[in-house]
Amino acid sequence: MSPTVMVEARGLGKVYPGKKGKRTEAVRDLSFRCHEGEVFGLLGPNGAGKTTTLRMLSTVLSPTAGTAVLDGADVCAEPHLVRASIGFLSGNTGLYPRLTSREVLTYFGQLYGLESEHIKQRISELAEAFDMTEFLDKRCDRLSSGMKQKVNVARTVIHDPRILILDEPTVGLDVLASRTIVDFVRQYRDMGRCVIFSTHIMGEVSRLCDRLAIIHKGTVQFDGSPQELRERAGEDLEEAFVTILEQSP
Amino acid sequence: MNFKVVGVIARKEFKDVLRDRRTLVFMMLLPIVVMPLLMLGLFKFMARQAEAREKQVVTIAASSMDEITLRALQDVWYDSNSTVLSVILAKLGVESLGGLSDMGALLARVDVFENSEEPEVEADDDGSADTAAIEEEAQQAGMIAAGVAAMRDLTSEQSQLIKDARVIQNLLKNTEFVRFDELSGEGELAPGVEVPLELPGRLSELAVTLAVQSKEIDAAIYIPNDALVTLGEVPQAVTYRALVEDGSGERFENGDFTLLSRAPDLETVDIHLVYDSSIGNSEEAYDRVTAFVSALNRFVNVLRIDAAELPREFGRPIAVERANVATQSRRIQAALGGILPYLLFAFCFFGALYPALDVTAGEKERFTLETLLLSPVTRLEIATGKFVVVFVAAIIAAVLTTTSMILTFAQGLLPADVMASLDLEFQPLALLLTGSLVIPVAALYSASLLAVGLYARSFKEAQSYTVPLQFLFVLPTVVSLLPDIEPDSYLAWVPFVNISLLMKELLKGNYLWSFYGITLASTLLLTAIALFVASRLFSRESVLLRT
Repeated sequence: MSPTVMVEARGLGKVYPGKKGKRTEAVRDLSFRCHEGEVFGLLGPNGAGKTTTLRMLSTVLSPTAGTAVLDGADVCAEPHLVRASIGFLSGNTGLYPRLTSREVLTYFGQLYGLESEHIKQRISELAEAFDMTEFLDKRCDRLSSGMKQKVNVARTVIHDPRILILDEPTVGLDVLASRTIVDFVRQYRDMGRCVIFSTHIMGEVSRLCDRLAIIHKGTVQFDGSPQELRERAGEDLEEAFVTILEQSP
Repeated sequence: MNFKVVGVIARKEFKDVLRDRRTLVFMMLLPIVVMPLLMLGLFKFMARQAEAREKQVVTIAASSMDEITLRALQDVWYDSNSTVLSVILAKLGVESLGGLSDMGALLARVDVFENSEEPEVEADDDGSADTAAIEEEAQQAGMIAAGVAAMRDLTSEQSQLIKDARVIQNLLKNTEFVRFDELSGEGELAPGVEVPLELPGRLSELAVTLAVQSKEIDAAIYIPNDALVTLGEVPQAVTYRALVEDGSGERFENGDFTLLSRAPDLETVDIHLVYDSSIGNSEEAYDRVTAFVSALNRFVNVLRIDAAELPREFGRPIAVERANVATQSRRIQAALGGILPYLLFAFCFFGALYPALDVTAGEKERFTLETLLLSPVTRLEIATGKFVVVFVAAIIAAVLTTTSMILTFAQGLLPADVMASLDLEFQPLALLLTGSLVIPVAALYSASLLAVGLYARSFKEAQSYTVPLQFLFVLPTVVSLLPDIEPDSYLAWVPFVNISLLMKELLKGNYLWSFYGITLASTLLLTAIALFVASRLFSRESVLLRT
């Protein structure tokens, strides 16, 4: 029996309106599927449309063409259901600088409709998992970027979402902090969840991704496992990545 | 809409906003501390300015004869009015020790009553006030209180006489006279300055105009040589101290004039004055001379009428006896009604400003807006939660400001006895209705500022948008400061103008119900529009995500 499809993008497209009719087509006819218990990597050079795609999946942006279904909910028709079942992290999802980590986590727990007992329990679980007990009651603007990212990941999974979408979660982090996050993604996958994440770092791709898609100029150029990528374009992933980009029209 | 979620958002925003120093400054510190201090300082400054203006020495070019005539007129006035003045001064508790020779000192004591300030007990140099001094102070305080009360009981003629005594004294006390020969006559005429032609004496000389223009002198005066003769002669001999002092007035060296020992020539003495109304001090010199002449006119009129054996009414064909139906309380209410809306509006705006921009443009800048938009709450719930916080902040700022302003007036600016005698009779209904108007104002400000903050890319951009908004939203309330704008049904539709006019009328006790209805309805309509715009902006990704 094949695993359940958790995320399905169906011909997603996004056109940004511009001044004087200058429209920018960021994403065109993009389709892919990710399953339960799978880490799905989204690769692509800067400006390829990764962030736009992830934002459409998370309902922050609405697609101008096609749609996506996450855990049975349609991003266009039922955005609130989608939001409840995903956790989303990107460079644009900051923490409230004047609140403490605990306050931020509690706030988002409340927004996701969790009971206060449940929130407390989740916070202590996450604090332990991410080793953040020490700075839980410090204001977020006094944390290092590694600490912040840990709190941010904790914020993303406070409601234990079935789908996790991470937009370059390790960017700007040191080796140790990155490792914590990579380990967490693996754990999360092992719990049977679906994780989509975009990255530039090939090491992370080879260590984490069960499947990956390479996006270039707003369309999918490759969709398959890392193994398939190597078979098609070369043993070294980075070389393979570049080859795929060069082959794209 | 889930109100529990709205509550969660509002509570968090409030906590967040309160931890921002800027908000605290605008919501709390500014209204509670800065404004009262500013008001106190301004009032003290204005009082000091007025005092300084009176004490300001002005320089007038005059011939020695002119000066002697002025001093003669002063002495004649004092001598003729001394009896009446002593009676009035005695009534006020100022004993005229040594006669009226030192008019200045006596008037200074009357000044104390007029300003009715509580005497301050000053500590000695070593820091302790000895008991004798304290007793003396206490006694003085009692005297002052009695004097203040007596001042209020004076008839208008009696108070006029005291006023006249002051201007008569002031012209010569704080004026320096220079001779025409001493004028430097240097410089050139500035554009816009003209030499007056065909004036008597030396007033038409270029040097005079140049001296006035260059502030070497504040004015130049000419008094006809026969002024005293024209005015008549005084019954008793008057010695002119001025003559003895500088010995310059040869002609009248031993000259004891008398005015009105004969029938006066019924002529007008034309005093000429050259001054520059564009210079403050020159204007002051003109004012002093005019006041001096008015006081003299009042006095000489009576003398002339008496000499002609006419009834006193001869010089007073028409008189106005006032009966002001407005109590002092009503007058103060009207004044407060004018200024209160403006203050209320301004601080409501400032109270809403920072929180509104902080929870919108500020969130964009800190990258937290997207985080919030990802949570499974509706855009309307987010907008409402934020609105609640900004609205509450605006109300708090408005209420704090009004309270601190009223306390400043009551405790610091108006003397205690004046305050007590006011017995402000604001009707509870009027206060309630006035208060109820703060709600639509705060709502409209909050909704509009939220919309602006959401639209802007950054905090800075939002701030620059709010500058014109400030003019648009706060300036119209100035109409309530204008005395003669009547609330009509057209003005009821003009936003902000209607509210400030209505507040003013309510505080005066005029209940304009239909005006109130239209005002409330139109303001709430505008608020609804602003809220609608704000919530629409919340669902426009192009606005939310642009940075």
